Amino acid sequence: MNPDFIFHRERPVSDVPALIRLCLLLALCLQLVWHGLQPPLEARAKDLPPPLPVRAYIMASLGEPVAAGRYLDLWLQAFDDQPGVSLSFNQLDYHRLTQWLDVILELDPRGQYPLLLAARVYGSIRNPEKQRVMMEYIYTRFNKDPDRYWRWLAHAVITAKHELRDPALALKYADALASRGSKVPYWARDMKIIVLEDMGQLEAARILTGALIDSGEISDPYELKFLTNKITELEKKSLKKRQTVEK
Amino acid sequence: MPSPIPAIARYTVMESMRNRLLLLCLLLAGTAFVLIEFIGELTITEHRLTQVALLAAFLRISAVLVVALFVVSGTVRELHDKTLEMILAMPVHRASYYLGKLAGYSVIALLVCLIFAGLLLFYADTQALLVWAASLFLELLLVVALALVMLFSFSQVPAALAAVFVFYGAARIVGTIFLISQSPIIAHDSAAQKFMDGFIELLTWLLPDLHRFTRSEWLAYNTADWSALLPLLGQTLVYLCLLAFIALFDFYRKNF
Repeated sequence: MNPDFIFHRERPVSDVPALIRLCLLLALCLQLVWHGLQPPLEARAKDLPPPLPVRAYIMASLGEPVAAGRYLDLWLQAFDDQPGVSLSFNQLDYHRLTQWLDVILELDPRGQYPLLLAARVYGSIRNPEKQRVMMEYIYTRFNKDPDRYWRWLAHAVITAKHELRDPALALKYADALASRGSKVPYWARDMKIIVLEDMGQLEAARILTGALIDSGEISDPYELKFLTNKITELEKKSLKKRQTVEK
Repeated sequence: MPSPIPAIARYTVMESMRNRLLLLCLLLAGTAFVLIEFIGELTITEHRLTQVALLAAFLRISAVLVVALFVVSGTVRELHDKTLEMILAMPVHRASYYLGKLAGYSVIALLVCLIFAGLLLFYADTQALLVWAASLFLELLLVVALALVMLFSFSQVPAALAAVFVFYGAARIVGTIFLISQSPIIAHDSAAQKFMDGFIELLTWLLPDLHRFTRSEWLAYNTADWSALLPLLGQTLVYLCLLAFIALFDFYRKNF
């Protein structure tokens, strides 16, 4: 490529009138002085604004709702990292956060990203109150479409059981998993048995396990064996418990 | 005498190539690739889905910008350099000149479409991509015809480009605006409101349904179907005829 194409041949600097050169230097100094007089830039954290109506985002993306939803996923995920400031999730308004997640799901109803953010990002902080907001959000979403969102409710069962240490809440979610949705796999439905067992309701757990086997929906021999062993184990535990009470 | 249309089309393609069309497209594709790989690093789940949705939307708007820019700047330069007057001084019909330009820029649209679809091959399912690319080509054909109308009307690059983008943007969002106007938060019965509602409805009748074209969800969820192209083809043919006759109407009335 001809270098003249990139670097145009120009006249020497000395051809520029001295007054112009002087004015250029003065203008540059003026800009530097002007900048020096301005108040220094300060990093300020911004609150999460309320979301606009869904149609506003569709219009802003020129009718590409899926792309708009994907962009908002990333924007929301990175909202805690603002220029010069890093927010903790505790500082975010979780009820507003759920409004944003709703907007994103309306833009891209087939996406799982907002539920992942609810379960594993915003739902994993050490603030039980905020964790509950996220788990309830997942529960609400699961109720609207169990087959699509069951895995996030399975995550909510674990969170309620091990992090919130609220067996009643874990049972509520596990019960929903066991009773709704045709595509919920058996291991997720089995969670109710584990929660019941944990709560000491051994008889209920045993009956539920037996019902699962009797339903004929489980054909995998390994899973059947696992459940049969589970019944034996539960019966042993029940017996032991009864003997302890009698003593 | 052989038809001058192929010759005009060939020189239109050559001129765009000399204006570094390919370089610009490759630069855009390269930028998009880097950007999308970066975005891929930010995603926690549905990695490919997020990449393909954002990349498709970015490439679609980039293709429209590139094509509109080349059509308007190339033809306006011809108007200002008196090349057009020279061509029309020869036994060439104005319609032949217009059709030659339309054919030449359609080839450019096809090239842009192929380059951008080539990049998407790394991310999307092939069949869905073929449907998406065919739809993008149809959309670009409309952009070419629209740009030719606007430049004959305005004869200036900034005005013509602004008009193309306003028209194109309106065609993509008019459906959404119409739905909003149909279900207002507070219902008004004022004459102004009725006029606006009527005007928006009129726009939905007059503008092409571009919101149905080249949807990124086809690639994200593999929902593209060849049958989806039929209505798009119909809309393209109908609107291409309309734009072509508007351009010819304006062109035949011009004094040079």
